[in-house]
Amino acid sequence: MSVLAPIICDNGTGFSKIGFAGNSDPSFVYPTAIAVRGSASQASRAPAVPAKPGHLASKRGVEDLDFFIGDEALANAKTPGYGVHYPIRHGMIENWDHMERYWEQTIFKYLRAEPEDHYFLLTEPPLNPPENREQTAEIFFESFNIKGLYIGVQAVLALAASWTSNRVSDRTLTGTVIDSGDGVTHVIPCAEGYVIGSAIKHIPIAGRDISQFVLNLMRERGEMAQVPPEDQLKVAGKVKENYSYVCQDIVREFRKYDEEPLKYFERYDGEHSVTKRKYSVDVGYERFLAPEIFFNPEIYSSDFLTPLPEIVDDVIQSSPIDVRRGLYKNIVLSGGSTMFQHFGQRLKRDLKQLVDRRLDASQTASGSVLKSSGVDVDVISHKRQRYAVWFGGSLLASLPEFYTSCHTKAQYDEIGPSICRRYQIFGSAT
Amino acid sequence: MSNVLRPYLAAVRSTLTAALTLENFSSQVVERHNKPEIEAGGSREVLLNPLVISRNENERVLIEPSVNSIRLSIKIKQADEIERILCHKFTRFMMQRAESFIVLRRKPVQGYDISFLITNTHSETMLKHKIVDFIIQFMEEVDKEISEMKLSLNARARIVAESYLTAFNA
Amino acid sequence: MILLEAHNVIIHTTLHEKLVKPSSLDVQFVDFDGVRFRLSTPEKDKKNILLLSMHIRCWDELVKYGALNVLQREYGALLLPNSEPEYNVSLQLDLEQAPADQESREAFVMSLALFKRNALAAPFESAFQAQKRLEGGSQLGDLMAIHYRDEEAIYVQAGSDRVTVIFSTIFQDETDRIFGKVFLQEFVDARRQPSIQNAPQVLYSSRDPPLEIRHVPGLRNSEEIGYVTFVIFPRHFNNPAIAAATVSHIQSFRDYLHYHIKCSKAYMHSRMRHRVAEFQKVLNRAKTEQPTAERKTVTGRTVVSR
Repeated sequence: MSVLAPIICDNGTGFSKIGFAGNSDPSFVYPTAIAVRGSASQASRAPAVPAKPGHLASKRGVEDLDFFIGDEALANAKTPGYGVHYPIRHGMIENWDHMERYWEQTIFKYLRAEPEDHYFLLTEPPLNPPENREQTAEIFFESFNIKGLYIGVQAVLALAASWTSNRVSDRTLTGTVIDSGDGVTHVIPCAEGYVIGSAIKHIPIAGRDISQFVLNLMRERGEMAQVPPEDQLKVAGKVKENYSYVCQDIVREFRKYDEEPLKYFERYDGEHSVTKRKYSVDVGYERFLAPEIFFNPEIYSSDFLTPLPEIVDDVIQSSPIDVRRGLYKNIVLSGGSTMFQHFGQRLKRDLKQLVDRRLDASQTASGSVLKSSGVDVDVISHKRQRYAVWFGGSLLASLPEFYTSCHTKAQYDEIGPSICRRYQIFGSAT
Repeated sequence: MSNVLRPYLAAVRSTLTAALTLENFSSQVVERHNKPEIEAGGSREVLLNPLVISRNENERVLIEPSVNSIRLSIKIKQADEIERILCHKFTRFMMQRAESFIVLRRKPVQGYDISFLITNTHSETMLKHKIVDFIIQFMEEVDKEISEMKLSLNARARIVAESYLTAFNA
Repeated sequence: MILLEAHNVIIHTTLHEKLVKPSSLDVQFVDFDGVRFRLSTPEKDKKNILLLSMHIRCWDELVKYGALNVLQREYGALLLPNSEPEYNVSLQLDLEQAPADQESREAFVMSLALFKRNALAAPFESAFQAQKRLEGGSQLGDLMAIHYRDEEAIYVQAGSDRVTVIFSTIFQDETDRIFGKVFLQEFVDARRQPSIQNAPQVLYSSRDPPLEIRHVPGLRNSEEIGYVTFVIFPRHFNNPAIAAATVSHIQSFRDYLHYHIKCSKAYMHSRMRHRVAEFQKVLNRAKTEQPTAERKTVTGRTVVSR
């Protein structure tokens, strides 16, 4: 039998992206949620022990198979008797029972793959404790009998995904990854495929906050009067995805909008989910104001005031000095919230200004004796940004070295789960 | 606690309580080192007589005391193939998590299923009678757990077979 | 879920998506038993023409047993005479010609998602027909062998009053083997229950092949192999609807068995996790409370340890 494609499984806090290596898009993207019997507020208790051997026709003894995952889980959230749980919080797996069952249904129901025939590539957040990798390996090798396992750091996979951009000439695993999803944005520096853990920074601004900001702006203008309250956040989300972009200068943009409103204002048509009544809302300044909170957070809330370019600069400056040039030269975007138009250009421009300012200051401080050769700043955008981590995994798993870098079942059986604490970095040009 | 098991566990309990008289003892072999003597096994005079308490051929407890540490190995009852596999999986699972168990040893002693290592630091920071309680409760629970797992496996198998075969009728 | 579904979820969801909004695509995916699929838009500018190709290991055997007739019956003009290179069989569909109303559209998509099931149905259907022919006599039909996995096979043989289906399955892992034995023993014993009197009869042997296939060359003789025999009676295929359901159901037996073995291992894990947590709670009771005296300096500041 020819070798079957490895399975790439990127489980994030919000969504899981599942598919096969060699494809350019994941086959499934659904929420990392599981609906099990028992209310949502119950902490995970012992699995029910059957009182007597199951002579009864009732399905006592297999209640643990009675669950739903992904979209079906959210659809069943209202059904009495089922509670929705989110096994992954802040990128790390918190509830192993739920996660094991989640994987079980993913493999057998959605992917319809026999795990004994496949290699798996899973992803993990940076700074994931090695014990978690051991537990994951234990589940996959002992319960599912998979052929081989590789657990990759999400940031490194996002760097691998950037190789598809036509602006990248050499394939390197050194760069800064800006990963912005629904909950939080991370800025993660990587050198030669290893994450520089001490320099990672988190920004509490991400997709959800931008949607909320759009909603606030539209409410202020009175646009949301026609929209039913339960759909408002969703409508704000759709407006954000379809019409937003990043401008180069807010003041000029305001002026452009005021001078030619018809050219810039857009209309969004929606339908009430229950009554099917149609409504439409105008979309105006929030088109460019919404993603602006990355660059000017004070317009949204006063909790967090540092703009994104400054954070990126801080991260790179707190990394070891010999990798800083490589980090500036290769800034990679990943995640849905980085897909705004012109996001990359704006970030590059602002960051270059910061860097040049610093270089000039040090030049004048030295009395114009020492002149710097300049620092190259480049932000890489590419078509696969939304699922960059998954795509990076798909790319790496298509390389022939993938199979040798995985830990195989034979190795696991012989040595034990402790070998799964470390994984080789492969794939870069060197 | 079942009646049959009571004398066995009582014997283990009293032996363990007597053996848990541990005190700090620096290594006689290497200067300024302090190792559990039962593991290091260097000097014969600090090792005390090992003792086996056995209920029958297949259920034994080996207690190896020394001046500053004690090693307790248990051989769990495994009547048939299924119990053997379940016991093996269960002990492997626990030994994987030995760090959080503190007194558990990562590898069992040859000929036994699971081993504990209790040192003088443990008996100083933890209450001795509670440690003994834990070990005794462990021995009871393990047997119970394995038979429960076997029962649930059989129940599952029945339901799986039923579901498959009734689908032919539908 | 307890029973495995018969259709391929990826084909189902992708086709529904593309019916709403056609776009170019090229995805490769798999199904149980090492079947590979490829769904693509071969022509760049015609986004509504899709090519669905399948690669099955035992295709040649299936063709021998009449698979092409079955596929012709199910898909008619969609079946291409020549398959895509590296694949065994291909279907070409035009999304614009898909039925317009909701129900028939769903049926169309579902029939495509059952591509693998339909291909594997051929030997079973021919066995059912052979049984009808042999009814009343004492002859046995041909023994059809389908090597659908590397070391495992399905053997189908029609008799005068029954159809016998024998699965040879391998358990790589010792745990799987023992769990498998428990499960298969229950399959054999299940018939004692009154509600399942009418189900097919199941027999199981762990090393020696059953009589019907003992003469087949190349059978491996090792501890890891198990043979499961299903005896299907005419009432399980006397009308087309029941026959189709029986075929779908019996095909996926091996996947069903291995799926449940893995689920029970996962269940054991969750029991063990719970038990370990309980033990740790007991152990924590043994820990004494270390007195945490607050330490202050002479000027009144508190010492804090991080």
